[in-house]
Amino acid sequence: MNLALRDIRRHLGRFVGTAIGLGLLLSVVIAMQGIYAGLVDDATILTRAMHADLWVVQRDTRGPFAEGSRLDPSVEARAAAVPGVRSARPYTYQLIQREHRGRVLRIALVGLGWPDDPGRSLPLVRGRRLQEPHGEMIVDASLGLGIGESLSLAGEAYRVVGLTKNALTSGGDSVAFMSVADAALVAFDQSPEATLLERVRVVDRLRRTDLGRGQPALEDLATDPRWRAPALASPPIAAVLIDADPHRNAEVRETLRSWGDVSVYTQDEEEALLLGGVVQRARMQIGLFTVILTLTAAVIVMMVIYNLTLEKTHDLAVLKLMGAPTPRLVGFVLQQAWLLGIMAYAVAALMGELAFPLFPRRVLITAAISLVAPLATLSIVSLASLLGLGHVMRIDPARALEG
Amino acid sequence: MTEAVRAVALRKTYGTDGAAVKALDNVSLTLERGTVAALLGPSGSGKSTLVKALGFVSPADTGEVFFQGRRVVKDGVPLADLSRLRRQHLGFVFQKANLTSFLNARENVEIACEFGGKDQGRRRARELLSYLGVENREKSYPEMLSGGEQQRVAIARALANEPSLILADEPTAALDSVRSRSVMELFRKVAHERGAAVLVVTHDQRALDLFDVLYEMEDGRIRPSEHQGAATPGASPKHDGVPK
Repeated sequence: MNLALRDIRRHLGRFVGTAIGLGLLLSVVIAMQGIYAGLVDDATILTRAMHADLWVVQRDTRGPFAEGSRLDPSVEARAAAVPGVRSARPYTYQLIQREHRGRVLRIALVGLGWPDDPGRSLPLVRGRRLQEPHGEMIVDASLGLGIGESLSLAGEAYRVVGLTKNALTSGGDSVAFMSVADAALVAFDQSPEATLLERVRVVDRLRRTDLGRGQPALEDLATDPRWRAPALASPPIAAVLIDADPHRNAEVRETLRSWGDVSVYTQDEEEALLLGGVVQRARMQIGLFTVILTLTAAVIVMMVIYNLTLEKTHDLAVLKLMGAPTPRLVGFVLQQAWLLGIMAYAVAALMGELAFPLFPRRVLITAAISLVAPLATLSIVSLASLLGLGHVMRIDPARALEG
Repeated sequence: MTEAVRAVALRKTYGTDGAAVKALDNVSLTLERGTVAALLGPSGSGKSTLVKALGFVSPADTGEVFFQGRRVVKDGVPLADLSRLRRQHLGFVFQKANLTSFLNARENVEIACEFGGKDQGRRRARELLSYLGVENREKSYPEMLSGGEQQRVAIARALANEPSLILADEPTAALDSVRSRSVMELFRKVAHERGAAVLVVTHDQRALDLFDVLYEMEDGRIRPSEHQGAATPGASPKHDGVPK
């Protein structure tokens, strides 16, 4: 006769209630661990998704994610000419917030070096890569936009042609990919009023200089909306991504580092900049909270299991008086604790399946969490049971005679 | 008759020095199989301490206990596996029935059969419940049973491993007089029909006629009772704990 199952059968409601309660507690712990893992993963997923060997950014900056980076677009061509470089791609990055169909969208806009980089390295879950230099974008599914849907940016309609999954920034914002040219249009977009005012200021400045007064045609050019001064540089980019020959990676890195206008980071260094800077405080905050929550949950689970054992003191004393073999009593306590742990974990796993996708930030259940969480649960309930068993072993069967 | 248990010169003291209380003071006693004995005495006279010593639950400080002729405890030291002895040869009935709360009536008896290594525990449990007249409550949990029914199930549980010794510590204290007598009659039936030695600690003097042997304890000492029991021929009390 299995005493553990008999006890559960008799107190089924209480057992299930306890298992659900512990399961909910475990789900909170797993959620916190998942949020922490998600934060760390989100912080680096964007850099990893670009599959670059080297990140070339503005000199003495930690761009483009940890701080702003403005790089002359000519760096792309210069870098491409370095021996050992297979390809060099421009990269821009900016955060924008727009309203779309009554919803506020926060978007990290990434410019890709189309046509060399149509988003080949992106993990698409639906749709396709960029095929046109203008008017197309790939967005993360978390933005809630569908394939074919258009988003209005800088007065132009950008059609969604592909969807990624979990392409997020360290702040949890969804990422949208378009050509660098389109990204620049969005970045330097200004209203017609602002354009007019800028022209007025240019004309005003010209009229106050000898050059302007001596060359009246300059004033006509400055007020012509179709004209752009050929001497002005193209809009700056945030970074240049380098794919290098694996055998010459170090050599390429050293060459680029010798340039006076850029800083060069490897993929690992770029990730370290993010984890050590951008999300460091959030990581520590959530990390410490996760540790405290995990310890608290462990203590609560242990106390619940221990108290469940204590509640059986009289029944155990009677069974002991009847001469119950010790392994039977040990099995009784341990089996029940394990069943409770397994049920609680099942409830936590179910909660995770149902609730975690609804969280505003990604809850990433890593393989480590999937492996450690059930093992930790089983260890905690076993430890609590062992404490309870210590108590059981000390029970004097004479207590049963005391009524 | 066969000797079930024999205690020789048991002494047990609670507390130390000035606060020391002699719970057992040179108590000797023999219980024969097939007899039902009552142990009378006021509260604090040492009755429960003697039951614990005879049931190998809490040994006396000094003295010896023989079980079926074999010495099993000497001066508080076990000379045999007492837990095994309890589960195979002893049955206990308490003031409260002390049934295992999460097992139904049949399972309470069945688990005792299991502990005692008896085969066909379920069938045997049903037989015992039927023998004690509670077969219709076999699926009821202890809290659903009346006090008398609980005690009947407790007695059935005590009989599960065909014990040679049943120790009952005030089993009728929580019952009215009718149910109390009914339970005492059961003990008598068990002793005579199944050949067990039964020792019942009781304050209830209305059913003393049902016992073969009467003992009385006072201040840790035991002596034959002055009350008149229904002594079975040949079942005269064997004791040498008379106050000196």
